[in-house]
Amino acid sequence: MSSQTGHIRHRVVRKLRSVIDPELGVNIVDLGLVYQIRFDGKKLVVEYTTTTPGCPLRRYLQQQIEKAAGDIVADEDGLDKYYVLMVMKPDWSVEMIKPGVDFFAVSLPQRN
Amino acid sequence: MNARTRLLNSLFGLLLALAGASLLLGLYTGLIRLGVILPEFFDLGAMSHGPLMINGFLATLISLERGAALEKLWTYLAPISFAISTVLMMTGFYTIGGFLLILGSVFLVAIMIYLCTIQTVNYHLIMATAAVSLLIGNMLFLFHTPVFELIGWWIAFPLLTIFGERLELNRIMRPPKKAVNLFTFLILTWTISLAGVHLYREIFWMIGSILLIAISIWLIRYDVARRTIKMANWTKYSAWSLLTGYGWGIVGGLLGLIYGLPRAGVIYNAILHIYFVGFVFSMIFAHAAVIIPALTGRTVPYSRYFYLPLILLHGCLILRIAGDLFFWDMLRKIGSYGNVAAILLFLGGIVIQLIRSRNE
Repeated sequence: MSSQTGHIRHRVVRKLRSVIDPELGVNIVDLGLVYQIRFDGKKLVVEYTTTTPGCPLRRYLQQQIEKAAGDIVADEDGLDKYYVLMVMKPDWSVEMIKPGVDFFAVSLPQRN
Repeated sequence: MNARTRLLNSLFGLLLALAGASLLLGLYTGLIRLGVILPEFFDLGAMSHGPLMINGFLATLISLERGAALEKLWTYLAPISFAISTVLMMTGFYTIGGFLLILGSVFLVAIMIYLCTIQTVNYHLIMATAAVSLLIGNMLFLFHTPVFELIGWWIAFPLLTIFGERLELNRIMRPPKKAVNLFTFLILTWTISLAGVHLYREIFWMIGSILLIAISIWLIRYDVARRTIKMANWTKYSAWSLLTGYGWGIVGGLLGLIYGLPRAGVIYNAILHIYFVGFVFSMIFAHAAVIIPALTGRTVPYSRYFYLPLILLHGCLILRIAGDLFFWDMLRKIGSYGNVAAILLFLGGIVIQLIRSRNE
């Protein structure tokens, strides 16, 4: 498992970059919302936060991250379960945002 | 999905439906208030319009957003209390309905105190002040204080909530600390001025109006909307909605500065709807692309169509206010019907987009 961990971690990060915070138009990894990705035996554990503890987008982000984690677990033989945990500490701050990130660069789906 | 999550999801869906029903009934009773002859069933009449919009719709929705964010069973007690209270009060059970109304307000205050203990920051304190304003307004309402006496607190609830949310979001703009302190000071002073309205109505409403103008100007100056208006799709749409909403904040302040807040009549009607329609619904339109995923778990595909209800909302509000100011009742009515149509067209557009995106 350990030799594969780095590879899977990269896949998880790539997958989580597809989860967009619709309020800021930036993926959650670049926003600094993903605090930890770890492996506990055959379990994938993702710890994330929201920009504020009362963020109304929490349910949406939880669902999106669970979907992303579920896809990874389904693809990887070395994993059989996932846990997506929302944590409130440490407090998120704007300093955690990846420098030079383009806010609102990713827009929501469009239909004209 | 475990049993607890399933329970919370079902509860969430039910409360969301009740908030939506309150909005529709609020619009319905608004039409009755305008003089449209419509059947008045249960206790739904012209006088139900305000309570339905404030408590049935806004309080249920805002407390549901907060409750769901914390995902604890007790945090759902606020929206549950507001929703059940609305049903009870509209069906004539005032005593128990009133009790639940206060209970919902207290639970919303508790949620905000809990958030403040997790993170003691100015935007949480502003949102907590919003919850306290609602509690004050509702307590006065239950003690049969006339609505014109307590309306400032009801106006403060959505406005303070929005001020707090915008301050929170605009952290990404990294506004200077002095500017943030000024914003907080303006809001605090405005809230104090609302208490003063009970003593010296005219003068304190005028002071409050000046403060609201200053708050609106601050928002125009520091909100990310000024930057995002150059972007596209929902982001641009949201910026237009925000900036026009702030514009109404200034207009409402100017009217308040000139006229104060009369106890009834056309100016009273104009000031109320400038805040509740021009400001609050503009903000709802602006945040739809974020609120809907938060509420339904799904994003709403953007469409240029959404500019139609936005233009209708503002255009008809201009007509409505002009009708009020120039005592032209027909114009006021056309504007008012247009406002109802704008909100329905917006909601209809959201529903259609969600259905279409699911079918694809």
